[in-house]
Formats: sequence, structure tokens, C-alpha cells
Amino acid sequence: MARETPVIMLVDDDIDFLEMNRHVLESRGYRTVCATDPCEALATMGTEKPSLVITDLMMQALDSGFSFSKQIKQDRRFANVPVIIVTSVSSRRGFDFTPRTPEELDAICADAFFDKPVPFEVLLAKIEELLMGCTQEDDT
Amino acid sequence: MSVDGTRILVVDDERGIREGCRKVLASEGYDVASAEDGVAGLELFEKSRDFAAVLVDLKMPRMGGIELIERIRQEDEDIVLIVITAYATIRTAVEATKRGADGYIPKPFTPDELLVAVNTSLKKRAVSIEARRLREERERRLLELAFERSKSKTIINCMTDGVLVVNRDRQLVLRNAAAGLRIPECVALCLPSPLDALECAPLKELLVAALEAGSRPAIVSKEIAFGKSVHMVNASPVVEPNGETLGAVAVLRDITSLKKLETAKSMFVSMVAHELKSPLGAIEGYLNVILGGFVKEDSEKAREMMQRALARARALRTMVSELMNLTAMETGNFIVKRSPLEVGDIVAEAVESCREKAAAKNIELALHSTDGVEEILADRDAMLSVFTNLIDNAIKYTPEKGHINVDVGSNGLYVNVAVCDDGIGMTDEETEKAFEEFFRARNQYTARVAGTGLGLSLAKRFIEMHQGRITVRSRPGKGSTFTVSLPALGDDGEESERGTNVT
Repeated sequence: MARETPVIMLVDDDIDFLEMNRHVLESRGYRTVCATDPCEALATMGTEKPSLVITDLMMQALDSGFSFSKQIKQDRRFANVPVIIVTSVSSRRGFDFTPRTPEELDAICADAFFDKPVPFEVLLAKIEELLMGCTQEDDT
Repeated sequence: MSVDGTRILVVDDERGIREGCRKVLASEGYDVASAEDGVAGLELFEKSRDFAAVLVDLKMPRMGGIELIERIRQEDEDIVLIVITAYATIRTAVEATKRGADGYIPKPFTPDELLVAVNTSLKKRAVSIEARRLREERERRLLELAFERSKSKTIINCMTDGVLVVNRDRQLVLRNAAAGLRIPECVALCLPSPLDALECAPLKELLVAALEAGSRPAIVSKEIAFGKSVHMVNASPVVEPNGETLGAVAVLRDITSLKKLETAKSMFVSMVAHELKSPLGAIEGYLNVILGGFVKEDSEKAREMMQRALARARALRTMVSELMNLTAMETGNFIVKRSPLEVGDIVAEAVESCREKAAAKNIELALHSTDGVEEILADRDAMLSVFTNLIDNAIKYTPEKGHINVDVGSNGLYVNVAVCDDGIGMTDEETEKAFEEFFRARNQYTARVAGTGLGLSLAKRFIEMHQGRITVRSRPGKGSTFTVSLPALGDDGEESERGTNVT
């Protein structure tokens, strides 16, 4: 099976994070699509059909990322698209969103959860792992 | 008993009796006055009112002895009244005693008989006066005690802190009005009532802990919620000087507003932490991209990234100094140097400092200043930072080729500066929060704009510090107008009186 270049959707209201992640991912041969809010992202996803989504948690609202990931997982078209949530909220505002078990991760509809800034190597390894899992699932 | 100077009145129509009595009594040290009938006797009594005893003959012209005794007794219940009469019959004696006489001396009498009768009666009088004094004293003390008790009770009842007292048998024995407000179930309780009648478990535990602390001086404290309010409850044992524990007292202080303040403060701190972390994360990320070899170090891309990182570092520095200003204002350490200022000049300076930025976005930045605008009394640096911030914001949130108009005018009482743009504007919800710390409208456009979310909140504080007002009108897609009004300086160099009263 010929592998197409995977498309990764980046969602963050901080344009610098979009910029640096876009650059790093493109340098590793991924194609990226950027959006600064979940609405814009959902609109683009229909046409771009990303293989993976990386979203910030706190955008318009403290937990915009959660409702966004839930919307993705509930949409039949994207149900199998892995979602990585990155955040600088974490425990800093008295809210600790960090999931500690696979069940908690599942509950927030995410496949991975990172504190910002994520070391690029860690992020790249996770992307690799999640994309691999997807292809295997598709094969079975 | 010393008789020196004790005054005695003798009332008798027989001169011999009067003189005889006077001599006998004076020889004992008494001070004696006399009158020849009831009317004269009563007159003397009423004039001086310091007689300890009156000797009264029964049969006298004008006013008889019985009537005189009656009249004097009405006026003075302590005075000794002794009847002297030749008509010594049981009937008259009983009659005289009924009317208030203390004793009876039949005529003729010997000097000794007179002295015994007078001395004995006076002793009795002294004893009864002393007894009455003691009785009155006791009654007064009891009254004072009762008053003290009711005073303490009133004070405890008027306290804004709730007070609950339990005895050592764990019975609630006292609760004040404030405690009743917080713990409604205790209002209906008849005191004493078992402590278990209270529903609030932590409060009961606290009182029991204080009781068990016994003579060791101890205060046990706990934050307890009653309904929507939070209370700091301090309980301590009530210990007598001999070390015996009588009970425990709990004082309930409402700390709801303090808790709210605490929450707001920690929310603010975590917000600051978050706002610091984002730009630091961006700077760190860019450096990692370059150092991690994701981009060639000498490439145009690397340069672009370093420029972005630099911009974020600068914004971070601005935010830190704005935070310091904010803190200085809150702690009252911000020094305002007020001097008369031409608002037009300050605004012109602010406009000039922003020209380059406006030009870079092809934005037309125009200043319209009316002549003869009054001066204001204000801190120059603060005013410059406010106007620069407003114009800078307008440039940030106005797309390329937009227009910004800055107007300076006055209505005599207030000097008004309006910064009006045809930029992206704000929704009503965003407008409402525009002056809140760290509020930033979040949308596709603002995502590309660097800002701290502190500028407007600082501007508002600066303006309010100068008794002014800052307002905003905005419509999404149409633009925003921020208007600052500051009290104008009057002709005499004072802020115009009417001006400062208008709020």
C-alpha cells in the first residue's frame, strides 16, 4: 500500500506555537494545516482529512480543547483520527486536567496529553506511534 | 453613742416643762430647741429638719400633740417621737402610738426617766437607720449585679461574631443572636439543651475538643461552612482560676469575604503564571527549533523565528512592568506626580510615538485637537502611557489601510480624549470585559496580535486615580471608540468644583 504524506491538523490560538510546530513537522515530511480556533479547524477538516490533530486546550474557553476533541470523536468521519491535546493550563490555575490513566485519557477523548512546551522529539515520537496504530487498525 | 450636737425639739405649753427638759438634755450634750404649741413646733421642725427626736405634750392650744405627731411622722419616718403628758391613760398612749409615737413619758417624770426614754429611743432609731441603710445597700448591689448581667448579655447579643457556650455536661447554655443567624436550628432550642441538638458536626467536635483540652490553655480553630458563608470558628475552654473547667466557648467569625478575596488573589496569581508561561513557552520552542536543527541556523527562517522570539520576550517584559505597576497601585506604593498638563500636547506625543507602527500597516492616524482645551492636573507619565496604550491598541486591532481618529476636546468641566478606529471591534460580551485584567478577545484576528491583557486594565486604574472615567463603545467589524474624560483644571488652578462632584 502506497503511503500518502500524512496531514496533521494544528489548532492553537497562539500563532507562534502553530508556526514552530508547523515548521518542525514539515521538516519531518508531514503536511500541516493550521487553525487558530476549533470552529475554523472543524470547517477545514472536512476537506483536508487530517490523519492526526494536535490541539491546544485553552482557547476561547478554559477547556475549548476538550469540547473540540469530543466533537472530533463523535463525528463519524473523524472518529479514528488521533487527537493530541497540549496545554499550558495543566495544574497552574488550580485545575489539574492532566489525565493519569488510559481511562481518563479516554474520557477527555484524547489519545495523548502534553504540557506545553512539548519537547519536539517527544511530540514526533508520539505522532509516529499514533499514526502507526491507526494504520494497523485500518489493516485489521 | 455620742449625743454631741444631736438636736431635740421639746413642744409643750408649760414653760417649766420646756425649761426642765432643756436643762436635763443639754447637760447630756444634746442641742435642744423648744416650742410652746403644735403650730410653733411644726414650724420649727419644718424649718430645720435636723431633729433626731421630738418630745410632744398631748394637750396644747392651736395644735394638739396627736396631730403634731401625725404631721411630723408623715415627713420623717426615722425621727423619734416621744409623748409627754399628764393625761397618762392607756387609751391616749395607744392612740399616740397608732399615730406614730415611739415612746411615752408620764408627767411628772424625773430627769433620769426622761434621759432613759430619750436615749433608748435614739439608740433604736440609730439601729433602724443602719438596718435600712444596709438593706438599701444590698438592694442597690443586687440591682447593679442584675444590671451588669443584663449588660454583659446585651453586649454578647450585639456582637457581630457568633458566640456559643457549652457547660462541662456538654449542654448548650448560651447562644447569641449572631450565632442564631448562622445556625438557625439553635434559635428554637430551650437552654440548656444537649450539644447533640446541633446538626453541625465539625462545630460539635470543636467544642468537645475545647472541653477536653481542660486546664491546658488551648484554642482550637477550624473553618466551617454555614450555608453559603464560611466561618472561622475558634473554641476555647472556660477555665476557673483554680483550674476547674466550667465549659467551652466558641466564637464564629464570618470570613466569607476574606475567602473570596483569597480565591480572587490566587486566581490572579495562577492567571499571571499562565500568562508568563505562554510567551516563555513560545521563546523556548523557537530556540528548540533552531538548536534542535529543525531549521538551518543561518537561514532566513531561523532569523524570522528569532525575531518572533524577541517580540515575545519584549511583550513579556512589558507585561512584567505592567504587573509591577498594578501591584504598586494596589499596595498604594504608586507615586502620582500631579502637575498641570496640556492634554493636547500629551496626546500629540502619544500619536507621534505610534506613527511608525501605523504607517507599517498603512493605517491613517489623525489627531484633531480643539483650541482652548483646559489643562488637567495629572501625572504626565501615567497619561502618556494611557494614551499611547489606547492608540497602540487601535493600531493592533485595525486591519491594514484602516483609519484611526484621535479627538481632544472639552465641555468646560471635563477634558475628553476619544480614540476611534474602524478596526475589528468587539462583541458586547467582550466590551463588558475589556477592562478586566488579562482579558483578551480571542478570535482569528487577535490570535495574530501580541498583547498582555493588562494595558486597558492599567489605563482604567490610571484614569480613575485621576478622578476620571474611561468608557468604550464597540461593534464587531465596525470598530471601537475609547473615550477618556478627566476633570478640567479651573481658572484658579483648582479642579473645577462642579467638575469633581460630577461622577
